[in-house]
Amino acid sequence: MFPSGRERQILNPLTFLRCLSCSTINSRPFREGDYVFGEVEEKCPKCGGDRMRIVGIYVKEPEQREKRQKQTL
Amino acid sequence: MQIAGQGDLLTSLIQLVWLLFLMIFILYPNFSQRLQLSYILRDLERKLYGLKRIREEVRSRVIETLRKYSDGNVDLEKEVDQILLSFAITPESMDPYGIVYKLEHIVNTWEDTFEENVRRLCPKADRERAKTLTNLVEVARGIDYLYRVVRHYYLLGKKTSNIYIVLQIQMLMPQLMEIAEAYRQACYAFMQGQPVGDGVGVLAAAKLVEGLEKKTYEVAKDTIVHELMMDGKKLFVLRAAGPGGTVGKPADGIIKIIENEGERVKAIVMIDAALKLEGEDTGKVVEGIGAAIGGIGVDKFKIEEIAKKYNIPLYALVIYESIGEAITPMKESIAKAAEEVVERVKSIIRSKVEEGASVIIAGIGNTVGIGLS
Repeated sequence: MFPSGRERQILNPLTFLRCLSCSTINSRPFREGDYVFGEVEEKCPKCGGDRMRIVGIYVKEPEQREKRQKQTL
Repeated sequence: MQIAGQGDLLTSLIQLVWLLFLMIFILYPNFSQRLQLSYILRDLERKLYGLKRIREEVRSRVIETLRKYSDGNVDLEKEVDQILLSFAITPESMDPYGIVYKLEHIVNTWEDTFEENVRRLCPKADRERAKTLTNLVEVARGIDYLYRVVRHYYLLGKKTSNIYIVLQIQMLMPQLMEIAEAYRQACYAFMQGQPVGDGVGVLAAAKLVEGLEKKTYEVAKDTIVHELMMDGKKLFVLRAAGPGGTVGKPADGIIKIIENEGERVKAIVMIDAALKLEGEDTGKVVEGIGAAIGGIGVDKFKIEEIAKKYNIPLYALVIYESIGEAITPMKESIAKAAEEVVERVKSIIRSKVEEGASVIIAGIGNTVGIGLS
């Protein structure tokens, strides 16, 4: 009924896209077929442009972790 | 009943039990060790079940993914199990002369055969996808081998009641479980073609030439080079071709460029992910000297040899990450480090290479999910 602990731990990266018209960077969950420097036909939420370039695909790290790291020896 | 002046029956019974225990320890000196052995075996068994679960999960995911690209004419489960058990025999090292090239030959044959087998199972997959699927099957092979080795030591220790065998494997189990979990994550990353931490070298090389005018061509198998001018210096930016999962043949590419350019090459800058020590920050960029490249050592040997022959300095830029982070989806701190690497490379080129000279920049790593810039 509930997802197991291990299933919850799967890292889901975000895809960062730059609009080719207004250069705004947007992000959304990764979709199969995405790759860095690839161009996709998607609507820019800011200017409505229909072509975007993928500028990054990575897993966002929670800030808590960074704080914990600074506290370590 | 009274024994040695003690109070009631219960106290006497406890004393008897203690006496019995004392006798066991005196008459059977290995008793404590046996007890410890059974505890360790129980702990190992629990972890081995965990490993088995991960191995089964990865195997079923791999079969499920391969099925999408299969034409249905093969028994995928049987074929995958055969591939998982495939192996390569390393060359004889009694006479080490020429061993690197013998090893290269064997590894090349093995890699080609491995890829061919995956292509045969997945005729519907295009070239890029077939490479990523090959990586995926390699992940399954890695976890399968890990499970079989741990099971071997567990059963051997149990069969021979040898506490020293099981102690050694028990001590390694925390790291092995971490690696197994990394394999599990890697399986999902390769299934979907997501960039992994190991690809940061390639990402940095791609970012270095992004948006610049350049000539791009294939220089070795699965390896491309971008040729461009920057501040009056000729740059050869080499990396494996993406976005399919491959590491290419960087050494062959570097050798070809140097043979064409000759004395004009004044520096080789290599960018790669490197294993961090515990306590170090992921994504930290560090500069050093030497050939920054992992693997079995063939590429490293060839690069060092050609660099020595032409007296070209080797500069290394590495990005720290753990072994798990290298094969799991790329983390933000690693992706951000690629931008810092670009600035560091530019600084090296400015300070170490004179105008009119050539420099090779090699981004090392797996290109899964990283296309051409």
